[in-house]
Amino acid sequence: MLGPIGNSGLQQTTTYKVVLPFYVYAALSFILATILLLLNTHLVDEHFFHPHTLAIVHSMALGWGTMIIFGASHQLLPVLIEGKLDSNLLAYLTFIFSGIGIPFLIVGFYQFQTGFLLQTGAILVNLGVLCYMTNVLSSIYESKKHDVHAWYMGAAALWLFSTTFFGLLLVFNFTRQLLPNNSVAYLSIHAHMGLIGWFLMLVIGVASRLIPMFLISKYDNKKTLWLIFILINLSLLSFIFLNEINAPSFSLYLPLLISLLGIVLFARHCYAAYRVRIRKNVDNQMKISLLSVLQMLLPKIVLFVILILLPKGQFSKMGILYGFSIFFGWLTAIILGMTFKTLPFIVWNKVYHNKAHAGKTPVPKDLFSEKIYDTMSVVYLVGFLLFLIGIIFSSEFLLKIGAFALVTSAALYVSNVFKTLLHQPKRS
Amino acid sequence: MNVISNDQIKCAIALSGLYNVYDPEIGLNVVDLGLIYQIDFDETEKRIDASMTLTTQFCPMGESINSNVTQSLMNSFPEWEIHVNLTFDPPWNHSRISPEGQEFLNG
Repeated sequence: MLGPIGNSGLQQTTTYKVVLPFYVYAALSFILATILLLLNTHLVDEHFFHPHTLAIVHSMALGWGTMIIFGASHQLLPVLIEGKLDSNLLAYLTFIFSGIGIPFLIVGFYQFQTGFLLQTGAILVNLGVLCYMTNVLSSIYESKKHDVHAWYMGAAALWLFSTTFFGLLLVFNFTRQLLPNNSVAYLSIHAHMGLIGWFLMLVIGVASRLIPMFLISKYDNKKTLWLIFILINLSLLSFIFLNEINAPSFSLYLPLLISLLGIVLFARHCYAAYRVRIRKNVDNQMKISLLSVLQMLLPKIVLFVILILLPKGQFSKMGILYGFSIFFGWLTAIILGMTFKTLPFIVWNKVYHNKAHAGKTPVPKDLFSEKIYDTMSVVYLVGFLLFLIGIIFSSEFLLKIGAFALVTSAALYVSNVFKTLLHQPKRS
Repeated sequence: MNVISNDQIKCAIALSGLYNVYDPEIGLNVVDLGLIYQIDFDETEKRIDASMTLTTQFCPMGESINSNVTQSLMNSFPEWEIHVNLTFDPPWNHSRISPEGQEFLNG
């Protein structure tokens, strides 16, 4: 027996015009960040509060990670919240404010101009994030269905705004005393609000929906996803609290262990989905995305090493290692994989939306070069590992080769993104 | 690919067209994927009522697949009125995939 019929179940997709500018912006930011890394490899032996390090970190966190997640989440929000994106206008404003604000912020950090440049950048980025958060929360409110994925999206948007607003306070705290201590004292809280609250929360929320969908896996375990949601938020809140009361460093094991448990549960969730997948031939984009789930564990291992083995004097270098393994490791790997799972579909939908009934149209994966993608993946992995080893052994030679490989992988990524974006149907 | 129909001959004609409509993500046609549930033909009204589903209710390609199924039926039966309805009751499951489709997915 078939149930009641109708087309109300069809998801309304977000227009490509909203989404594609974010992908272009992110691709250019990625290559910029890797070039800055190549030019500043000596920074690994300096304290992480260095103007150039801050510029690279914000290029990666905002220009690369956040902008591409903005783009992808505007596209995927209907899939995640079972409703439609509330406002295209707010999405455009998110792009305009953030897109103008980020260069101000990066140049401001690079030259360490704590006045006009940094303050203008911080205000514009906050306006962009405010538009994004409003759009996400109003879309969730309008959708009426509030399952666990919607909670991940909503919480991630709230944490993002908390991060950037706190960042704004830190920027103004450089020139006038707004907070009890100087801004450096709050860097760890600011960074972890962004890393755990925004990136980790959003990646788990999105990946827990998309990985089973792409693998055609019927595995579903909402209870585990709720548990992970609680653990990740609890770890972040306890981290902020322990920092605020100046608790001894060994107490930081608690949030670390809680978040580690959340990540392990998420990895187990992905593995369970993978095991019962119907689609046996897993493509390379999915392989690198699944690899990034394992890469989530690397920064946690680095943190354990910091807390257990190192005297406080060497925290700085391990801080660089920790940040590198997050931004150039886990975050970059998942973006490299997911870009070519999402972008070709957006472009395919734009070009072939009503032309696919004749069976002669290319499939989305034909829109980018798999050869360039495979080369990019290998070069990226080599670059990441060489740079990582270079940090550990303070080897300028390995750092330069590793950074050069990362620039090369970014160039290959950009060329493949533009190949996809500029795709035209063949004339018959 | 158990497609219910009140006219097996016309259904075969419809399906031959639908073999050219692909789920773009999976790369498999909608017939072997088992997305087509039912195709009924009303000779007097010249009307086709088709029921189909998607592998997941949240498929971002759903709109495209749905409109291409409609277009394919229009091509196969140009004089007929086409109604394609989407249903998730019963939901799609992997037992609907044809042996050819399963072979394709196994790589």
